[in-house]
Amino acid sequence: MKKNRSIYITAICTVLMLTACNKQLDLKPHQQIEQDQAILTSRDVQITLVGAYNRLGQSDLYGGGVELYPDLLASQSVMRWQGTYQELTQIVGQTIPNDNTYTAALWLDAYEVINQTNNVLANIEKADEDIRADISGQAKFLRGLVYFDLVRLFGRSYNDGSPTVNLGVPIVLTPTKVVDESSKVSRATVEQVYQQAIADLKDAEATMDKPSQASAILARLYLQKGDYVNAVIEADKVLGSGDYTLVKPYSAEFPNTGGHVDNTSEDIFSLQVTTQQGNNSLNTYYASADNGGRGDIIIRDSFLEEFETGDERLNVYNLDSDDILRVSKFDNLYGNVRVARLAEMYLIRAEGNLRLNTATGDTPKNDVNAIRNRAGLGDLATVTIADVLAERRHELAFEGGFFLHDAKRLALNVGVLPYNSPKLVFPIPLREINANPNLKQNEGYGQ
Amino acid sequence: MKKILLLFLLLFTVTVAISQTKVVTGKVTDQKDGSALPGVTVAVKGSPTIGIQTDVNGSYRLSVPVDAKSLIFRFIGYKDAELPINGTVINTQLVVNPKQLTEVVVVGYGTQKRQNITGSISSISSKEVEGTPVTSLEQAIQGRSAGVNIQANNGKLGQGIKVSIRGQASISAGTQPLVVLDGIVLNQGNLSGISADSNPLADINFNDIDSYEILKDASASAIYGARASNGVILLTTKKGKAGKSKINFSAQFGSSKPSRHKQFLNSDQYLQILRRAAIGAGKLDFANQDPTDPDYATVEDAIADEQDFVEGRFTRYAAGSTNYNAVNTNWEKLAYQDAPQSQYDLNITGGNDKTTYYIGGQYLDQKGILIANSLKRYSGRMNLTTKVFNNLEMGMNLNFTSSLNKRLSSDNQFSTPMQIVALSPITPVIDPRSGLLSGSLPGAASSYPVYYNPLLDVDNAYYHTTIYRTLGNIYANWQVLKHLSIRSEFGVDQTNQNEDSYYGRLTFRNTTQENGSGENTNSSIIHYTVNNYATYKNTFGDHSLDVTGGMSYEYSHFVGNDVQGQQFPSDAYKQIQSAAVISAGSSTQNEYSFVSYFARANYAYKSKYLLSVSARTDASSRFGANNRYGFFPAASAGWILSQEDFLKNSNILSNLKLKASYGLTGNAEIGNYSPLGLFSGDAGYNGAAGQRYFQIANPNLKWETTAQIDAGVEFGFFNNRFSGEFDYYRKNTRDLLLNVNIPGTLGIATQTQNLGKLYNQGVELTLSADVLVGKFKWTTSINGAYNKNVVTDVKGQILGTNDLNRVIEGQPIGVFYGREYAGVDPNNGDALYYVNTKDANGNLNRGTTNDYNVAQNVVLGNPTPKFTGGFTNTFAFAGFDLSVTLQGAAGNKIFAGGGQYMSASSSNGFDNQTVDQMDYWDHPGQITNVPEPRLFYSNGTNASSRYLSSGSYIRCKTVMFGYNIPKNILSKIKLERARVFMNAYNLFLITKYKGWDPEVNADYQASNINLGVDFYSAPQPRTITFGVNVGL
Repeated sequence: MKKNRSIYITAICTVLMLTACNKQLDLKPHQQIEQDQAILTSRDVQITLVGAYNRLGQSDLYGGGVELYPDLLASQSVMRWQGTYQELTQIVGQTIPNDNTYTAALWLDAYEVINQTNNVLANIEKADEDIRADISGQAKFLRGLVYFDLVRLFGRSYNDGSPTVNLGVPIVLTPTKVVDESSKVSRATVEQVYQQAIADLKDAEATMDKPSQASAILARLYLQKGDYVNAVIEADKVLGSGDYTLVKPYSAEFPNTGGHVDNTSEDIFSLQVTTQQGNNSLNTYYASADNGGRGDIIIRDSFLEEFETGDERLNVYNLDSDDILRVSKFDNLYGNVRVARLAEMYLIRAEGNLRLNTATGDTPKNDVNAIRNRAGLGDLATVTIADVLAERRHELAFEGGFFLHDAKRLALNVGVLPYNSPKLVFPIPLREINANPNLKQNEGYGQ
Repeated sequence: MKKILLLFLLLFTVTVAISQTKVVTGKVTDQKDGSALPGVTVAVKGSPTIGIQTDVNGSYRLSVPVDAKSLIFRFIGYKDAELPINGTVINTQLVVNPKQLTEVVVVGYGTQKRQNITGSISSISSKEVEGTPVTSLEQAIQGRSAGVNIQANNGKLGQGIKVSIRGQASISAGTQPLVVLDGIVLNQGNLSGISADSNPLADINFNDIDSYEILKDASASAIYGARASNGVILLTTKKGKAGKSKINFSAQFGSSKPSRHKQFLNSDQYLQILRRAAIGAGKLDFANQDPTDPDYATVEDAIADEQDFVEGRFTRYAAGSTNYNAVNTNWEKLAYQDAPQSQYDLNITGGNDKTTYYIGGQYLDQKGILIANSLKRYSGRMNLTTKVFNNLEMGMNLNFTSSLNKRLSSDNQFSTPMQIVALSPITPVIDPRSGLLSGSLPGAASSYPVYYNPLLDVDNAYYHTTIYRTLGNIYANWQVLKHLSIRSEFGVDQTNQNEDSYYGRLTFRNTTQENGSGENTNSSIIHYTVNNYATYKNTFGDHSLDVTGGMSYEYSHFVGNDVQGQQFPSDAYKQIQSAAVISAGSSTQNEYSFVSYFARANYAYKSKYLLSVSARTDASSRFGANNRYGFFPAASAGWILSQEDFLKNSNILSNLKLKASYGLTGNAEIGNYSPLGLFSGDAGYNGAAGQRYFQIANPNLKWETTAQIDAGVEFGFFNNRFSGEFDYYRKNTRDLLLNVNIPGTLGIATQTQNLGKLYNQGVELTLSADVLVGKFKWTTSINGAYNKNVVTDVKGQILGTNDLNRVIEGQPIGVFYGREYAGVDPNNGDALYYVNTKDANGNLNRGTTNDYNVAQNVVLGNPTPKFTGGFTNTFAFAGFDLSVTLQGAAGNKIFAGGGQYMSASSSNGFDNQTVDQMDYWDHPGQITNVPEPRLFYSNGTNASSRYLSSGSYIRCKTVMFGYNIPKNILSKIKLERARVFMNAYNLFLITKYKGWDPEVNADYQASNINLGVDFYSAPQPRTITFGVNVGL
């Protein structure tokens, strides 16, 4: 009797103890898939590319940060900052601490895009042949664009000292698999980063379905580095493609429907924003609360006084219901964030031709007048560099860091600071320096 | 089957075999007041199966064998009595056991006598905290246990509360203790849909809880292995007692007020400082011009421009009036509401010798001190135990809770009530132009007042969190053999939460949506625990042995979905069905499991030499196949000196025990899929689906381990009238589960690695005394703890993402690290910072600079209190009783994160300022600590030690004052018990801290690292309630 009972007890205990097994422990995520399963098919390559656009549109990157932060650093004479986000005030104050979270986020987001495109390119052979060239081109376009903006923001200006010595940003061209010593990439030189961006954008131009997108960024890049010959060639490619036309009137280029708007005929590349996807942080800071923003940036009257009478571009500067003068270009809460549009191409070609004394595509006078006419202004009889620059300032104001980037390439003062002041270069984020001791900090910032 | 039948037959035979009996009757009373004691176990000595419990009148009637010699009377809380059977009527009086050395303490997977415990376990009984007018149990036990630091984020209802036992033992993994209720692990995952955590324990009616056991050292907690690094809180609910049914009802009513206010500028001061700020800004506008292309010819022009700007704003913020100071609104007071609360508790207990039950119910209706904040909770519990057979007990504990928390926005939102303090005193509450609340439409609501008016949220927005939670377990306890029992339990904690919110048209300035927006989120967690274990208890002469071994399986599955909508037809339609635009929707799930095997053996020799060993092996789905299993052993020893012959007969020393323990515990509170390299499919763009690189793999990820050593002494004098306990501990945590910063160039910011070490070291002291006994009773209890937390190794990294909290080697977790403020340059009003660079010889440059970027970051202070403690005094006289608990913390600093706005000498916008800002620098030579006001020029407003201050405090946490109506009156109205009482919570506060409340951590950012930050955080409520408690 007792013996039997012991057997029961032992049996029951054993069963109870062993009810568990590894099956209960092998739980896989529901919302993610494992890396080695993620990119197997042509479709997987495509969705990874879509993911790159998604990352590109983050609010600290092309969702607004890349356009806004350089302008905050350089436009005190045209706007008054009344924002209370302390770390943006630091940028406005031209004293960016090395742990400023906005510039640190821009860096992180940029390399997210780069890693995303590297994943596309490393698996490009898996893409179906009929779409492979375009996918590769788009991935390189995005990577080239990001490297160009990174080097403009975190490196010294191309015309400041020697770009082959000055440090740019680290170049990473392979997808991330592990963290090891090789992950601690040093900064390449400004020249090397420019060359990487050029190589990527050139490849993109050769293979993507919309080559004008790459050409437009190349035109901007060559202008930034003072290579007017190539700047003209690239701008002319876009203008010559006939794919884009200037929108009339000027204000129609900035529609405000309160919802998503497809690209206008003038838009070359813009980050798409819908009620469900994408970010527009330009709206957050430039637009008033009437239009869903914080209204932190007030335009100074003195800036408007620069414009000629009858300039229709003044129509995008309006007093909001609170009697404050703001720029209305970003009033659409779900408006796309524009990266490049055709008007800039006219002005690049005009400036390049004028400096080279050529007339590739068209004369500088015609190009400048095309922009002026669209703005409701009459023709200029003759065109000078100063005229082109004035048009750029009035045409492209607040659209993408032109106040800073133009001041740098033209070696103009920014407030009391000279164009090559270390204060006008973003610090390498402290977080990055701590994680990667091979990164050297920019001049004027604590390690 | 046949065998089992035989078994029953055998049992029956045994029963029948006892035929020669006689009947004994009697009554058991309390020696104290002669009242009857129901539920006392009366048994024949040597034959514990022959026994019965006394009835409601304390009477018993028991058939005993004719040869039975004596009866044993046992009742919890009383000394056993043994009386010879020398007649047929045996009455006795039981004496209260003054200090319950024989008290039974709940430990992991079992119980143990207090005296035999060699680990460190704090017990809190329900009597100490019952009826505290708070929402959740952590608030009720605050200050009651040494080394248990409980800190609410703010004074909102049902919000996150940080509990750390013996310091914080992890940086990136979880730091909250494991909470186990009746053997079932509770869901502690926070399901809040906003950045501010909600408190999952706020769903528990703590008046159902009988005892709280806090397992602090490794010996006590290692039986919970990988779940125990942060300590374990065991909650045991009330169970029924045999005897006549008892009904207990209590009700209390009261109200809360903010425990403290903060002073802001009045209208005249506001105008004065901003006018000065215009001058400061104008001077800089002029100085910062491009010299080749100046906008202003003279500095006066620049100042005049700024002055125009500021005067224009005054007109706007004064609702269009130019008589700016005609209005003087104290906005701070408007953040609060009258906050009545009421609470009703009813419970019924009873049973017979086979079946006992406890039925408990509660209705709690609290309003928060902040406008529109409230919490309602309905809770019902049924605990049932029955002896199916003499040797098989089965039972079920079931609790159902429903709560509705009307929550508020997080501390960093314009719509949270406390951000109202940013509004200008010159702004009227009601806009005279429209007769409506300032900021309402129609009108310039997008820029008037200076920010969104949080009062608009009261009638135009809501955020309701409804929770249905079922907690229950069923169990069977089989006494297999005399000394061996097997217990099997299955428990479920199911939480279903719905969060419903709508933001109407008038909130557009806060939401950016002009036609309303709404969100609806469902989250549910189902969490199973299965425990199977066997216990063997036996005594062999001087040796006693208690062995427990078994397994446990835990599985948790989270399922959530969310939908967001915009464009509502009108504010009358608030459900997303009406939204013309569905702007977002998602469904999510994740799960985890643990499989664990554990064993423990307690051995005692002559009841004075104690030894305990335990071990647990855990396996979790959270770790990769490489390191799935973790092993957590512990051992402890104790020596009860007071049982030795040389002390046994001491009249002074009644208890002296030395004890020591060492063991390992683990931590696995990380993401559910941390070792995997992952892509996530949530990266769509313009309507096209996309995937993104999401997480970098770490297949070697393993458990974070804490090795803890504890040495302690327990002592008692004068029959334990004075007693105490002292413990020293050191917890070394290694293989930290750390979210390590990796180079951002990888396209990902962090990887969870086993990297780093830290330790917590400290001492704990608890003393209690029955100072006065007799008619006037006074007992006192004091506990204090000191803890030192040091991160010893994070491979030189500096971690942290908010303003000042960082993780740095050699410093406590979350140490404040940043620029050191050096006051104001008397010559020009610039904010100054100490340079703090080190030269080649390591000398610190204590020079000052006005360039924030030049100043180096240095260690500025510790956000976690080094000292915590509590002090409780209880008095009783002639039916009156009074209990007062003080609680405090010391040695920490608080960062006023909102200082950059509210204490910024108007250098950062039009926010109203704290009154201390009127000491601003105005003219050369002036010595002050407040820099020159310079509108939007952030003079001194960057994060620095300027905004740090001491967070030490002592607070009168609870006062309970009651009067027990005498029994002779009660008997006339057929009541057993009646008490009227008054409770006060947070009655007063002593602190030098200038903010609202030193018990603070801004809810939107609170984390393991982000500690001690005050950001428009509401103070704790001061609550006073009155109530009655009736028993029949």
